[in-house]
This record gives sequence, structure tokens and C-alpha cells, in this order.
Amino acid sequence: MTLAAFVQATCLPKEERTLESEIEIDAFLREVEKRAYRIAVASIRDADEAFDIVQDAMISLIRKYSGRPAKEWRPLFYRILKNRIRDWQRHGVVKGRVLSFFGGQEGETYDPVAQAPGPSTSNPDETVARGEAMAALEKALAEVPRRQREAFMLRNFEGLSVSETAIAMSCSEGSVKTHYFRAVHRLRESLGEHF
Amino acid sequence: MKIDHVSEDRALEERTKLLFDEGVSSLDPQTRSKLTQARYRALEELEASAPAGWRPRWIPACVLAVGVLAVVMLWRGQPAVSPETPAFDVAALSDLEIILGDGDLGMLQELEFYAWLDEQAEIVPTESAEGGVG
Repeated sequence: MTLAAFVQATCLPKEERTLESEIEIDAFLREVEKRAYRIAVASIRDADEAFDIVQDAMISLIRKYSGRPAKEWRPLFYRILKNRIRDWQRHGVVKGRVLSFFGGQEGETYDPVAQAPGPSTSNPDETVARGEAMAALEKALAEVPRRQREAFMLRNFEGLSVSETAIAMSCSEGSVKTHYFRAVHRLRESLGEHF
Repeated sequence: MKIDHVSEDRALEERTKLLFDEGVSSLDPQTRSKLTQARYRALEELEASAPAGWRPRWIPACVLAVGVLAVVMLWRGQPAVSPETPAFDVAALSDLEIILGDGDLGMLQELEFYAWLDEQAEIVPTESAEGGVG
């Protein structure tokens, strides 16, 4: 960067910089929000909590990393999302233990068909079939160990590269490959070859 | 056998990806609206944190850049001078002063005498040293 370009970049009026950043980060969040929501739903199987998790991840990205280059946002965002999901799951385990100790039950039962994607075609049979397939996939994913599930979702659903997935998962690229391979193997076994 | 597994894995990846993408694209309007609201709430955070987070970090950088720029501009405005040049110029000026000055020209006439005296001063200690040994 030349000195003149540096001065221009750093000495822009604050309002202009903020607006520029806002437009850029808005475009990024718009791009990932729906996918992040589906990942959260598939991971925790609770639509309302999934909203809160996605919103927390967005706020956290802005607070901590909005000043970082835009190309770093994707793996950082998914790292935050993964951590939020893990925190929620840990909290859910503790909550479940406390409720079972006192003889209570935890909330409503998850209904995969009700949580399945809304109708996009006029064919009800197709919609039901898609909803069932999605429910089967979510159920199978829930049975896959956490790290393997994360690797599978980030690599296959989000299309993150091995290095980006490693950043998001805070592990080595070799671990990502291993987790991903095992996830595919497990899903193939549980979903069957006709899936 | 291994090839079958590879193709099965690939088919599973494609099928699950397609299903996931359909799930994303067919989100109902209410869910989309809630996600948009969530995004706006997050962006409010950016607006709120901008004055405190950006100003202290960038102002020193701007000041530094302007300072460097000023130094560079001043430096480029001056003629290039090497460190040896001033010493040479001072010596030349002092010689010129002696030559052009209207002071003691008799000293210049006796220059040969002073040169001879200087040679003698170097020779005398050597002779005395040789004499001491002998």
C-alpha cells in the first residue's frame, strides 16, 4: 500500500467508514443467516433457540471481528456459531439433569415434521417427502459425534475449505479430514444407501 | 468395492447438500423476517460500537501518516548533501580566506621555511635516539 493510499484509507471520515463497513457486513450476514439458522436447527433441534443462537453469533462477530478483513469473517462466524451451539448443548444437558432430578420434563417434544422447511411447491406429497427426508437427516446428524457433525456441516453444507473449517473448529486440517471422513461413513450407515 | 463406497459417499454428500439447500431456500416468510430483524439488531451493535472502537485506534495512525508525509516533503525540498561534503567545504573556505585575505602575506612567502622547519622537527628525535644508542 502506498503512503497516499494508506492516508486515504485511514483518514476517511468516521461516518463514511462506518457506512462502508455496515454495508459490507450486512451483505455478509444476509448471505449466511439462513444457512446458519438451518445448521443451528439441525444441531439443537429447537427453532426458537436457533434464532437466539444465530443472533448472538452475529452480534459477537460484529463486536469482536468487524475490524478484521472480510475474507476472515466466514470461518470466524462459524467458529462463534459452533461455540454457541456447544454452549447451548452443555446448558441443555445440565438443565435436563436438574429437571429429571426433580421429576419434571424439559419443554415440548421436538417435532421434526413441524420444524421441516415450509412449502415451496404446490405438490403436498413432495413437500411431505422432503420434510421427512430432512427430518431423517437431522435425526441422523444428531446421532453423529459433535466434532464429526461440525466438520460435515461446515464442509458439505457451507462449502468451507479444509483450512477454513480448521479455523472454525479450532483444530488442524488433518483432524478436519478425519472427522469429515468418519461423519460421512456414519451417515451412510445410518441413512442407508437409498437415501 | 472401494470404488462403490467412494461413489456412495459422493452420492450421500450431494443428496444431503441438496436437501440442506432446499431447506434454506424454502424457509417460510415469517422465519426470514425474524432472521432479518436479528440481523438489524446485530448491525445496531456496529453503529453503537463504532465511535468508541474506531476513533482511538485510527487517529494515531492518521497523525503518524501525516507526520511522515511532512518529513518526506521537507526532506525532498532540500538539496542532496552527503556527510563528507561539509568538512571539505569548510577546509576549502578557510584556504580561500587565507589566499584572499589582506592580512599577513609574509607568512606565505616563508612557506618554504615552515616546510623545512616541519621536516626538521620529524628528523631531530630520530637523530637524538640514534645518538642515545651509540
